Parts: sequence; structure tokens; C-alpha cells
Amino acid sequence: MFIRYKQPKKPPEGNVIKHSPLLNFAYLLGTVVIISAVIFVALGFFADWLAVRISPETERKIGDMLFHTISDEEIVDDKRIQYLEELLESLPESGETTRLPLTIHLIKSDVVNAAIMAGGHVFIHTALLEAVESENELAFVLAHELGHFQNHDPTKSLGRSLVFLVASMALGIGTSESGGVPDIVFRTGELTSLSYSRKQERAADLYGLSRAINRYGHGSHSLDFFKRLEEEEQEQGRLLKVSQYFSTHPLSKDRIVILNKAAAEKGWKMEGDAKPLPEWLHCPNMEECEPDAEE
Amino acid sequence: MDGLEILIFLFLLILGYFSGTYFEKRHYKSIRERERKTLHVPMVTFGAKQSLPEAQDAQLFVGSVVISVDYFKMISATLRNLVGGRVMVYESLLDRGRREALLRMKEEAMAWGANQIMNVRLETAAIGGRSGNNSGPGSVEVIAYGTGIR
Repeated sequence: MFIRYKQPKKPPEGNVIKHSPLLNFAYLLGTVVIISAVIFVALGFFADWLAVRISPETERKIGDMLFHTISDEEIVDDKRIQYLEELLESLPESGETTRLPLTIHLIKSDVVNAAIMAGGHVFIHTALLEAVESENELAFVLAHELGHFQNHDPTKSLGRSLVFLVASMALGIGTSESGGVPDIVFRTGELTSLSYSRKQERAADLYGLSRAINRYGHGSHSLDFFKRLEEEEQEQGRLLKVSQYFSTHPLSKDRIVILNKAAAEKGWKMEGDAKPLPEWLHCPNMEECEPDAEE
Repeated sequence: MDGLEILIFLFLLILGYFSGTYFEKRHYKSIRERERKTLHVPMVTFGAKQSLPEAQDAQLFVGSVVISVDYFKMISATLRNLVGGRVMVYESLLDRGRREALLRMKEEAMAWGANQIMNVRLETAAIGGRSGNNSGPGSVEVIAYGTGIR
């Protein structure tokens, strides 16, 4: 058997296609970004749609599950909880019902914050009780959170977080190291504190103000807490610990302006006297204590 | 924090693109030059179950090369994984690896005095990369081996 090797004139070049890597990259990036944006938005709407339709029992179960992932130091058996619950219960209009009983959780923390979670868990930080100066302010903060609850915002946000989580898992982001179920639970818990959309905030604001007016007959002093915190923040910069309230409730100057405008349009009364807070609200059990030595 | 992460990502991407393109161009230039120089020695896959041509000596020659993916190629390929299709950025990488491994084998055989290389085989192996827990940029090893005769 004879096979003759014929020397080629030049070495074979293989079959690699000549292409521009940058154009190729741009095309890929564009395709992936557009498709995932479409999927994400569609799933987001689906999550919203679903969030409003889940039964209160299911929501309660989800809320309880998430609640156990939170490791903050909770104060139990304190008279202040009772006070806050009574205040919260007095806020809805007559005939208005909440789909679940709301639970107040008083959290020992020197960061001013308040939040609501799926299942009707309301978190109030002790620092908030020190920061408010009248019951009207406190009532507005509580009513704002109640507004989120009535609009199903916590479950919507949870649904969107889950969508985000599933999407990022599919892309292999954020599951690199530990992976598995504990990571998912941790991240879901983390993401539930994601801020709500601006639209949701405005709706909750409006709800909050209307319920504060409903209780006190006027909207005066209710917004003072915001004004004061905003001033403090501007004075002392973003390093201030207090500013966490705004990271979950982004406050822009126009938030107050919009509320005042809405109040003017609806003819809400915005003048009146503030109702003082119980004297020792910042102390455990509302028993007299030293200003700085408390807790 | 997010801003910093994006900056690092962009930095790695740009670095990967420019250094990757530079090294690839340089490598191809060297490959073409050496292929032209060694073209006169036949290199064939013939010989597996056939007897080799009459010769004095026969010896095994191995050429192996490891080439790393750059960050730009890696991200490009990750995106391609989502969409599907030819991963062209990796094709050039493997092409370089294959040709370089063959060249290394051939050059060694020619230094020994081979006038033909028979029964040439190619193997590849992935090092690191997406397999297992290591999600960093991976490398590919290409091994070429054949029997040189003189």
C-alpha cells in the first residue's frame, strides 16, 4: 500500500470563523438583557397578581416562616407593645378590616426604623419611640406601614424578591459558594427588606395621612417626624445611624409636598394640636427611667 | 459596594479584552510562522493498525500546551451559554491550542531528526473553570502525540 504525502503550499488554517469579538459580545449582551428584562417584568407582574390572591392563611404561614429567620433582639411582655397595638387598631376607618390580625414586634435597636412584613408582622425599633415627639407622628408611621399591608405590598415585594432570586439562580449568580437551601432562605429573608416602589410608598403615605386625620381630626404634626429626620440627615450627613429609616422608606422632598397638595385637594384639615405621647414611652414598660440609662 | 463591583467587573472585562486580543494575535503570528517553517515534514494520522513504513528508528513525541481563557472570553461564553449557538470566542482558543501542541510535538521530533510523524493523535483536558466549585476562569490543555520515524 502506497500513500503519497503531498506537501501543501501553505499550512491549513483550520475552520475558525473570522469575527469581531466585540460585536459578538454586544449582540449577546443585548439579547440576554432584553430577554431577561422581558421575563423579569412579566414574572414581576405575575408575582403582583399572585400576591393579592393568596389566602390570608397562606400569607400568615409565609410570614411566620420569614419571621423566624430574623434574629433581631425582640422585647416581649412590655406595656409599650400593648400601647402600640391599641394605637394601630384605632387607625383603620370604621368598617375597614385587616385580612389578618396585626402583630407588633418591639425590637431593641438604636437604629430608627419601622417595617411591616408579610403576615402582618409590624416591627418597631425602640429608637423610633425615642425619636418621635408626638402621638400624631407615631400614628402616621404606623398608619403608613398599615397602608403597605392593606395594599399587599409586603407580599408583592416578597413575590418580586422570589422572582429575582429564581432569575439570579438560573443565571448562576449568588449561588457560587455555599449554594443550596440555607443560602436561599437567607437571601429571601434579606430581600424581603427591599424597599417598595415609589408608587407604593406614595399610596401608603396617602393612606397613612388619611388615617391619621381620621383619628385626630387633622393632619397637623403627623409629618413632623419626616421633616425632622430629613433635616438631621442633611445636617449630619449620611453617616448617621438614624438614616436607616430612609433606606427602607426613601424620602424625597416632594413626598411631603405631594402629601400637602393631596390634603389641600381633598380639603383635609392640616391644623390642630398635637397629642402628646405617654410620658415614659422610651422606657421599658413605660415606667419612669433615667433619660440615658434606659434599657 | 455595588458600584465598586461593577467597576471591578468592567475593569476585568476591558483588561481581558485587550490583553486577550493582544496575546491571541501574537500567538497566531508565531503559529503561522512556525507552521510554514515545519511544513516539509509530513505529519499524518496513518499508522494505527497498519505497519509503519520502513525506517531505522521510531520514537514517541508529545507536545502539550495549556491556554487560559481570559475574562472577556469567559463572560462572552457565559452569555452564549444562555442563548445557544457557536461559541466562537472559544473556537479560536482551541484552535490555537491544537496547532501549538502539534507544533511543539513536531519541532521536538524534527530536532531528533524525524522525517515523518505517523499516527498523530490529539487529546484535550479542561483545567479548573466551571466544573466543580471553582467558578473562576478555566484553562484548556491540548496534548498532541505521534510516532516520529527516521
